[in-house]
Amino acid sequence: MLQPTARVAIINNVKDSEITDQQMSEEVKQTTYWKSLKELANNKEYQKFAEREFPENATELIDGVSRRGFLRVMGASVALAGLAACRRPVQKILPYSKQPEDVVPGVPLYYATAMPVQGNLVGLIAENHEGRPTKLEGNDLHPASKGGTSIFNQAAILGLYDPDRSRSPLNNGKKATKEDFAEFAASHFANTGQRVAFISEANSSPTYNSLKEQVRSRFSNSTWVTYEPFGEDNIIEGNRIAFGNRLRTHYNYTNADVIVSLNDDFMASTHPNSVEYAKQVSARRKVTDTNGEMNRIYAVEDAFTLTGSYADHRLRLKASEIEAFTYALAAALSTRINGLSAFNGYSNQFFDHKWITVLADELTSNAGSSALSVGSQYKPEVQAAVAAINQALGNAGSTVNYLEVPHFDDQNNHQALSDVVAEMKAGNIDTVVMVGVNPVHTAPADLDFENALTNVETVVNLSDYVDETAKKTTWHVNRAHFLEAWGDGYSYGGARSVIQPQIQPLHNGLSEVEFLNTIVNGELTSGYDLVQNTFKGYYSSGFDTRWTNILHDGIDTTDSYSAANVRIASGFASAMNQATSNVSTTSGMEVVIRPDATLYDGRFANLGWLQELPDPMTKITWDNVALMSPATAEKLGVSEQTAGKDITDVVEITLNGKSLKIAAWIQPGHADDSITLTTGYGREGIGRVANSYMDYTAGGVDVYPLRGTDTMFYASADVSNTGDTYEIACVQDHHSLEGRDMYRQASISEYKENPDFASFESVHTYPVPGMAEAKENGDTDGPISLFDEQTYPDYEPQWGMAIDLNSCFGCGVCVIACQSENNIPVIGKKEVKRGREMHWIRNDRYYVGDDADSPQAVHQPVPCMHCELAPCEQVCPVAATTHSEDGMNQMTYNRCIGTRYCANNCPYKVRRFNFFNYPKEYLTTGDDPDIIQMAMNPEVTVRFRGVMEKCTYCVQRVNRAKIEAKKETGSPKPADGTVKTACQQACPADAIYFGDLTDDNSEVARMKRNERNFQMLEELNTRPRTSYMAKLTNPNPALA
Amino acid sequence: MSKYQYVPEPALVKGDHDFSSLTRLVTDINLRETPKAWYLAMMGANALLMLMVVAIGYLIWEGTGIWGLNNPVGWGWAIINFVWWVGIGHAGTLISAILFLFRQDWRTAINRFAEAMTIFAVMCAGVFPAIHVGRIWVVYWMFPIPNQMAMWPNFNSPLLWDVFAVSTYFTVSLLFWYVGLVPDLATIRDRATDKIRKVAYGIFSLGWTGSNRHWWNYEKAYMILAGLATPLVLSVHTIVSFDFAVSMIPGWHTTIFPPYFVAGAIFSGFAMVLTLMIVARKIYGMKDIMTDDHMEKMNIVILVTGSMVGFAYIMEFFIAWYSGVEYEKAIFMLRATGPYAWAYWAMMTCNVFSPQFFWSKKLRRSVGFTFFISIVVNIGMWFERFVITVTSLANDYLPSSWDYYSPTIWDVMTYVGTFGLFFTMFLLFLRFLPMIALAEVKAVIPLADPHNYDEETNEYVAPKVEVPEPQSEKV
Repeated sequence: MLQPTARVAIINNVKDSEITDQQMSEEVKQTTYWKSLKELANNKEYQKFAEREFPENATELIDGVSRRGFLRVMGASVALAGLAACRRPVQKILPYSKQPEDVVPGVPLYYATAMPVQGNLVGLIAENHEGRPTKLEGNDLHPASKGGTSIFNQAAILGLYDPDRSRSPLNNGKKATKEDFAEFAASHFANTGQRVAFISEANSSPTYNSLKEQVRSRFSNSTWVTYEPFGEDNIIEGNRIAFGNRLRTHYNYTNADVIVSLNDDFMASTHPNSVEYAKQVSARRKVTDTNGEMNRIYAVEDAFTLTGSYADHRLRLKASEIEAFTYALAAALSTRINGLSAFNGYSNQFFDHKWITVLADELTSNAGSSALSVGSQYKPEVQAAVAAINQALGNAGSTVNYLEVPHFDDQNNHQALSDVVAEMKAGNIDTVVMVGVNPVHTAPADLDFENALTNVETVVNLSDYVDETAKKTTWHVNRAHFLEAWGDGYSYGGARSVIQPQIQPLHNGLSEVEFLNTIVNGELTSGYDLVQNTFKGYYSSGFDTRWTNILHDGIDTTDSYSAANVRIASGFASAMNQATSNVSTTSGMEVVIRPDATLYDGRFANLGWLQELPDPMTKITWDNVALMSPATAEKLGVSEQTAGKDITDVVEITLNGKSLKIAAWIQPGHADDSITLTTGYGREGIGRVANSYMDYTAGGVDVYPLRGTDTMFYASADVSNTGDTYEIACVQDHHSLEGRDMYRQASISEYKENPDFASFESVHTYPVPGMAEAKENGDTDGPISLFDEQTYPDYEPQWGMAIDLNSCFGCGVCVIACQSENNIPVIGKKEVKRGREMHWIRNDRYYVGDDADSPQAVHQPVPCMHCELAPCEQVCPVAATTHSEDGMNQMTYNRCIGTRYCANNCPYKVRRFNFFNYPKEYLTTGDDPDIIQMAMNPEVTVRFRGVMEKCTYCVQRVNRAKIEAKKETGSPKPADGTVKTACQQACPADAIYFGDLTDDNSEVARMKRNERNFQMLEELNTRPRTSYMAKLTNPNPALA
Repeated sequence: MSKYQYVPEPALVKGDHDFSSLTRLVTDINLRETPKAWYLAMMGANALLMLMVVAIGYLIWEGTGIWGLNNPVGWGWAIINFVWWVGIGHAGTLISAILFLFRQDWRTAINRFAEAMTIFAVMCAGVFPAIHVGRIWVVYWMFPIPNQMAMWPNFNSPLLWDVFAVSTYFTVSLLFWYVGLVPDLATIRDRATDKIRKVAYGIFSLGWTGSNRHWWNYEKAYMILAGLATPLVLSVHTIVSFDFAVSMIPGWHTTIFPPYFVAGAIFSGFAMVLTLMIVARKIYGMKDIMTDDHMEKMNIVILVTGSMVGFAYIMEFFIAWYSGVEYEKAIFMLRATGPYAWAYWAMMTCNVFSPQFFWSKKLRRSVGFTFFISIVVNIGMWFERFVITVTSLANDYLPSSWDYYSPTIWDVMTYVGTFGLFFTMFLLFLRFLPMIALAEVKAVIPLADPHNYDEETNEYVAPKVEVPEPQSEKV
């Protein structure tokens, strides 16, 4: 297992070695690289290059060019010159003059840290190679992770090495140093009477929040606004209405037998606590034998979400109808249980809905063990109603806790933002300080934040990128990545952790605590001291031991948010009366704005991994689209996407007098008369990945202009078909299983009746052809085979994998984890469009069911099957793919000549071909490619053009574990659980089991003995080592 | 008299030809000054050849990605073109070897021509397996060359069998062709007046004097090579079909492939011979030797092989249904009705329906119509390979991986460019080598088989040559 080691002593030692590294790269740069345009112009390479009519390879005809349009900057001739110059950088290797403690070259070290998103920490373990972090994994000890991660956690490592991050502070756009900034801060903020507005992202750091208090006391005329585009303000407000206090809603799905989600996609990575929730929910669906029981999930939603696809029952409703639906449910419950008198006698159009009765009955009969949640974007009154229902059902304290979060502002931050912008416009603000936020991009459009900034004399911000906001500042400070700076904070549920840096700041950035401290105290103080001082305040004695333990474990168990003992507040009934009498649903077409499944609110827009990660439901990469149901599409005259080329119609959406054009996409299961848009795309000037190009024709559309203070979530809008078309890069063209048996499922009652439902014979009514003959010959492994079967010796471990389809909910984190672990290149939209995606594990999504308007969606991760009788091995003319003794289908890149015959002959289509030299594009472009190169895993070969690649079962991890095991025990068989593949490790639902099949007690061997276990395409007799466990559903007979 | 009357075969050579007029007719082409038209044609062919060189050069520079291939469809135009060209090559060997062994004397008019076509077609075909790989610079790893890695190729792989099959085929065809050329080269040598021709043809005619011993050796060698080449006609395309049939992709994994591929190869090869022959005999005035009777016989072969191919298409459907394998059933339904239905029906129209016109004797003997159908058949056979290669890969087992394949400009350029290679070689052949197997044609004219005696009296009578009137032709 990963052993986090205390980092305290290390950090100073690493400094020494890194200085040497830095000096080395400085030298290199002097000879080989150029740093500025001017310097470039003097570069001989460039002069030669500039004299040519076209840069090398840059003729219009060739494919290469638009491929180079991948990460578009490469289109710039300037970058090409850099490329030519850095093809063979001169590098010097120096030995460590002093061996740093614990560092053994080639052996990675693991340290605990934590990643903040929206201020909520997820505990992580960072894998370090010679002082550079290369991979993030979940921390088993941390409650918000329990070993799992979200896609954002996995992609954070790329964020650290993103070459487009802001490199230095900017003073009115000119480069400056952080010392310059400190000097400015000391003088500018010496005037404590000035009117300062602080706009900050959510941050749970106790250090940060104590600095915030200092800000408030020091600047008497200051205002502080916490702004998150998709924050939890409405939930907090709702809880205030319901219970009188501003509280956080924290579910504990471990205790929930019935889960009802009212448009709350709590399992997707976009939810701040998705990992913990996914762990809890999926754990309650682990069925190991016919005595198993499962929770039951209901989802009511407009767009098809991951939670909806995981639910046992799903109802399509427009987003605006959910409010009325919630009140109707409360009213129905009020006749069954006490505590909801506010809804007595209330009725609306949903009151007689079949679902209301079913849900009310289910919730009542599972009172105390049910959990009702509603999307965080719904207005506070809806949140309050849901909170009251949970309270009335006795769920509070059991399946849901209402947490007292000390750092919550005592204000409605949405209102506060509007107020402060009004003040700015009125010229009543002298200085605006923005920490982490990007309000020019994300603030409600009608506030016209950008314009308001022009009335402010001094604008200071801290951000990762020179983003839309940073461009408008007097002082921009580049922010240190969380892997570069000390920090602290709480998880969503209140577990306290210290954020340990893994590397010196690459670009000398400041963390948010250092930044705020500089403003308050006018001097640069190291984050380490600030954080340590905070923690010193917590303990009266034994600080050093505690500190070491916190760093080692990644969690401080001595403190947590406390759950409030809630009672319905006095004003609740009147608030509800007012709300229920004013319920409105949008008539006509409705537009809903959601955070994007892979880019979130836009903060991850420059991460190629996330851009290229197919949207979990639509499988679209590199774009956002207007999602609509088939019926709505028909109404708008939007045509179906054609197979192969995903050319789709462009619709124009007009809302509040603003309009935008965006590609339409038909999403079966979407609510009718409703269109879903997602944020984060259509950026300009952020970085080579995020930037959109050629207006709406590529790279998505910015939908924030449609998002006003009154239309934060949904609004009715005019939608029309423009008649234009646009090509989408979608990785899955065919959405039906065509009646095939790759995916098998049954309800839990069917499973109990017929535990063998997933076997080939049950599905097809006849046994696997050739099996009987094989048994006569004494072979029980599979059907008869023409070939001499390879023997797999017992003295070696025999690796196998089982994927539990009952756990997988399709989030896609396995894809990103694999990409990070195995150096899989990002290939760009054009190449994805041509069907050349490189992911070693993909997540197939099929629509199942007879109802085309409301199908079931199922997810199936597909890595290499590592067939024992591998069809790819038979056909390779040069024997580049062969079997190892421990049962892995291996790919020898050096031997591969690239006939692609193996990929053709793979029935599972898991092999990926390097049609171009993708890593070259990915790793050697830009003026300092060595930064992105640092994200690569040194244990995995970077593949050259023309070779085939595929999932290796993370052979580098397997072999390291085998070597360790052999050293310790003499046998190459590691103990069960010692070696985890990257996908398995990252999975928040623990859907993937991997291990040694010769060990009868290993988890994977036990899973493979389960009746639900089946092999994909078993009749082909490939004998895959990866198998699946059939999905189970837990439907309510009342809805059948 | 029996009611059955002996109907003599029509004379193989029309017109009042004797040995020397035949010699002049054929070898004058090689001896006279190069016509301007030849240069023009050569320029056109060279331009196309350059196109191929550029397309391949850019391919090597940039990578296989310039083609339209994608994840499920790993083989596209390159493999289609390879199979297509190899198929075309088959007619030459069939005509020269199998028809020789079956004593089909009519082959003599076209065998040289067809064999040349074979060799050039195989050269064009050979380009593709070499360049379609991802790392062209190590393509020699396909050959069993002893090396420091102590690695043999994988002898299980049909691609490796391909390497052996095609290279053997090329070698034997080339030898066979050359051996047949020797007496004719000597004829040109003897007629040549300039030094260069004398020396060049002299070297390649290997000192042929036409002595009895030479003829004896020649006939034996030719017979042996014909015997060697005969199985190759069957084996090459059988092995090419194994590239598909040995894999496990629905639509590929079919036992009917070897005979079906061989029939298709002969089908397309004959069509290509006809296309070239009709043009060449017009330009070079060879209608006396390459007669309409030849054309008709070849059209019958096209009709037969076209129908065999059609039978195979229908049989594939039947077996897919009969097997009960849902993936097989699905792929054949998708071929006929799915995203590539246009290609499927183009194939059916060109290959199965169009040759049926040759049931009509009138159409069989129509030069214009034959020329048209010969081109249609080759288009159809290209589509057949397209349908087989692409549709099966694009729609195999897992629907999630299905994708659509379309070529890029570079695919098209490479394919069109191989015609440059083909025609460059062919024009060189027409210019410098006798396009008719002169020695063999001389052997089949009546003059070569004189019956200089009266059958009843056994007395000598002067040879009386009866040559049927040349048929009038409509071109």
